[in-house]
Amino acid sequence: MPNKVILVKETGAIENKSIDFNTLLANQLRDSGASEKASIVPVADIGVYDKGLVLRILPDNITYSNVRESDIKKIIEQTVLGGKVIDEIVHDGKDKQLKIVLKNCGLVDPDSIDDYLKAGGYQGLKKVLLEMKSPEKVIEEVKKSGLRGRGGAGFPTWMKWSTARNQKTDQKYMICNGDEGDPGAYMDRSVLEGDPHSVVEGMLIAGYAIGASKGFLYIRAEYPLAVKRIEKALEDAREYGLLGENILGSGFNYEMEIRLGAGAFVCGEETALIASVEGKRGTPKPRPPFPAVKGLWDKPSIINNVETLASIPQIISNGGDWLAKIGTATSKGTKVFAITGKIKNSGLVEVPMGITLREIVFDVAGGLLNPAKKIKAIQTGGPSGGVIPKDYLDTQVDYENLGKLGSIMGSGGMIVIDETDCMVDLAKFYLGFCVEESCGKCAPCRIGGYQMLQLLNKISSGEGELADLDKLKRIAYAMQKASLCGLGQTAANPVLSTLKYFEDEYKAHIVGKKCPAGKCKYLLMYKIAEDKCKRCGVCVKNCPTQAISGNREKGYAIDQAKCIKCGNCSEVCKFEAVGKE
Amino acid sequence: MKKISAEEMDSMKKEGVDTSKNWIKVGMSTCGIAAGADVVYATLLDEAKKRNIEVAIKKCGCAGKCFAEPLVEVNVEGVPRVFYGKVTPEVAVTILERHVRNKKLVKDHIFF
Repeated sequence: MPNKVILVKETGAIENKSIDFNTLLANQLRDSGASEKASIVPVADIGVYDKGLVLRILPDNITYSNVRESDIKKIIEQTVLGGKVIDEIVHDGKDKQLKIVLKNCGLVDPDSIDDYLKAGGYQGLKKVLLEMKSPEKVIEEVKKSGLRGRGGAGFPTWMKWSTARNQKTDQKYMICNGDEGDPGAYMDRSVLEGDPHSVVEGMLIAGYAIGASKGFLYIRAEYPLAVKRIEKALEDAREYGLLGENILGSGFNYEMEIRLGAGAFVCGEETALIASVEGKRGTPKPRPPFPAVKGLWDKPSIINNVETLASIPQIISNGGDWLAKIGTATSKGTKVFAITGKIKNSGLVEVPMGITLREIVFDVAGGLLNPAKKIKAIQTGGPSGGVIPKDYLDTQVDYENLGKLGSIMGSGGMIVIDETDCMVDLAKFYLGFCVEESCGKCAPCRIGGYQMLQLLNKISSGEGELADLDKLKRIAYAMQKASLCGLGQTAANPVLSTLKYFEDEYKAHIVGKKCPAGKCKYLLMYKIAEDKCKRCGVCVKNCPTQAISGNREKGYAIDQAKCIKCGNCSEVCKFEAVGKE
Repeated sequence: MKKISAEEMDSMKKEGVDTSKNWIKVGMSTCGIAAGADVVYATLLDEAKKRNIEVAIKKCGCAGKCFAEPLVEVNVEGVPRVFYGKVTPEVAVTILERHVRNKKLVKDHIFF
């Protein structure tokens, strides 16, 4: 049986493409008498991108990139047969991801508490209850770790806990915020579905630290699988005596319940979430008093995000200093991002703080979906965040750096935007989302958001005036200052940040009456180029409004009055004769 | 009611996850299921039984490679551990026969 495996993948452009490398490799293996010792396996994805021909030799796990024909002999002789690394072509295969929160996702069976225990689960809880035996020590450990809230704002977790700890009252509550609503973000869902016990354990430790005996898991109803898995996790933990009375014989009592969110984005905001748990309409309240002082049913309550809670058990078992070693001066640990948009490998990535955006996009996530297009910007923080233009791709990711650029870390949505995306359209999308989700309680958010959206609609339909840009900014600042909660205060961010970096694009819509990216349909016209048209008539058949007239002799033309700008004709034309202007 | 003790917890941790020699894991989070992981999982269970192939088949959470779902991780003694992506029921059967039974990697479906 062959004992080595050579994985082969062509990534990006390859010089000398006429050569069939697999055959060449197989022939040379045979010539060297190594056919018995190694087998060749072409793979679908090797985790290295845009580096020509990539070979990986297993089980040694040696990767070579930009491999040329002349290297093959050397690789067979030295690495496959000799087991040695050839330094000149070796690829630094260091994984830029670091999995802490997602450590168990993909490892354990989420429905099995035994699996979680075997992976070292509930060791943090055990340490807290049987060794540390002091809530203050737990808070101290979290303080040492430098952990900040992963829900978006980045408030130091220990400080929240400590405030609640110091409240003298008969009852305190612990709440897990699983109301993940940012478009394109699903980190919390993956953690709840893939490793529910880590959240349950985090809730137990947090509850112990602040002195709560009751916890609520607030999960949005759109995540039925997450709810099912958390239900099972609670049931199993209860059966094992890890939830309920006298946990692990320590005298600590703790109960947990699930509350379902009914699909309102604003319920991710602390005070609205509390109202929702209480069974009231989910609208925010002014702060202070902060929930840590007066929260659920007027009792001190701590609300932590799913990701924050999921990292607690490991902070306790490994010690706060362990996490503090990872990251930048102000932001410690790792962050999970849901990377989507015009990206090759969309999915979840967990990276240490301090990594650059460029590394995330091009090394971890494989670069752009269509490598022929140029990257334009990255959107982070969802409807509360902003865009970061391509010139700032080398920024190190942490709370402060992203804030300085006019965006936020947010809960972890990251959308890659290429040159075919229009910034006005993008701002309109996010603002439209917030307008729909505004609870309507305060005027700045309810009215301001709507007025801004009207202005954006005006601009994207070609009716805009330059004065509208000032109006947008004025309303945006008013919303930031006067809105009651985070939703309204941040709803204008996508508009402000696109205006800051892409004012030219706004002006092109207003002055030039053009959409440079060709997205805003009122500002573009589809036209058939006579010289390119082969008069096949495919466009006519695919036009839903019969806007294309003509015949095979005379050629075809689009009636602009009938055209709805769906773009079908352009997509189906094999000769690229239908262009947009 | 079977309460767990601190000692039992420690011995479970010592034992570790995935102690069986041969196992297959299917990513069964929403992203996986949306791409057809539940069908792949059911196919693996059915076919392994039918074909008398001894391998532990488990479900797990999302490993992050949502673009390649359904994602199946295979560990068989004597073969490097790999992820197969965009797995269809047909590919699942090939994995059982070629990878698990014959101890050879399946071409063109490995995702790193």
